[in-house]
Amino acid sequence: MAAMEPVYHEATDRTPEVAFDFNAGTYRLAGESYPEDAASFYGPLTQGLRQAVDERSSDSIEFTVEMVYFNSSTAKALMNIFQILEDGAEAGIQVRINWCYHEDDETMEEFGEDFSEDFAHADYRMCPTS
Amino acid sequence: MSEARPAGSDSPGALVAQEVLGFQRGLVRRGIIFSFTGYISEGILKALGDALRQKIRLEATDAKTVNRVFSVFVEQVQNIIRYSAERIENADDPPVELSSGMITVGSEGGRFFVICGNVIAREDAGTLNARLGELARMDSQQLRQFYKEKLREPPEEGSKGGSIGLIEIARRASEPIQYDFEHLSDTQSYFVLKAYI
Repeated sequence: MAAMEPVYHEATDRTPEVAFDFNAGTYRLAGESYPEDAASFYGPLTQGLRQAVDERSSDSIEFTVEMVYFNSSTAKALMNIFQILEDGAEAGIQVRINWCYHEDDETMEEFGEDFSEDFAHADYRMCPTS
Repeated sequence: MSEARPAGSDSPGALVAQEVLGFQRGLVRRGIIFSFTGYISEGILKALGDALRQKIRLEATDAKTVNRVFSVFVEQVQNIIRYSAERIENADDPPVELSSGMITVGSEGGRFFVICGNVIAREDAGTLNARLGELARMDSQQLRQFYKEKLREPPEEGSKGGSIGLIEIARRASEPIQYDFEHLSDTQSYFVLKAYI
């Protein structure tokens, strides 16, 4: 099977930095997210992740989220991504999610806690930074 | 060369300045930081959002307040863009999508407020009224729980992802959000939402 091309998008004012290396199993979203159209921004990323998980492009996945602000449509997209990761973990992929946030940022801390509730198989870690 | 147009006290300019100054002072008296009325696009959201952040960073004591006001602003403007019944759309590339409404940000008694107003289909007013009534009766823990539930549900029919946006607004507000409807015609209503942060 052909190796999947990694995806890299630099951060813009309204979209986060995206670094998805499907074959290495390392994924990162960092910055702010309130795109004009969250479905068209996150749709291809979600599809790529789904394909990588289905085809087992890597034996382990480390997914790091370092967001400082995201809108409600982005929250929905993150939820979809996390469901794919949990499915992958259930299917035997070793999945670790790092939820990184500034220690003073209660909003991001709450979101991190709320998302964590969906994981039974993946290793989900809260990573406060100062 | 043609003669320059005369400009001076005999032009109607003086009267216009008085009127505009009066209008601006009226807004300032109400604590309004800015107010935008008319067709609004994602580009306008971005530009106003940047100006808003810069302004309230100077006024607000903490980053938390800045982030909360910004978040409420983004959700309200995106609601206008997605749900206003007064809109222009065409299939140009890139597509032109403009929705009409009003967005106002101000401060009053040490708190910020964000108001949006736009025309909606009258048949949607009842559902929106019920949904906002439900949110108004919830405390912060209930809102947090409700947000979680909605995030896990498939999107409602006709929704472009905005139903969670209202919960986000309610979560960031420091008191129950205020809302009202004014019926304009058999088919249209004017919808107003005000959130204090």
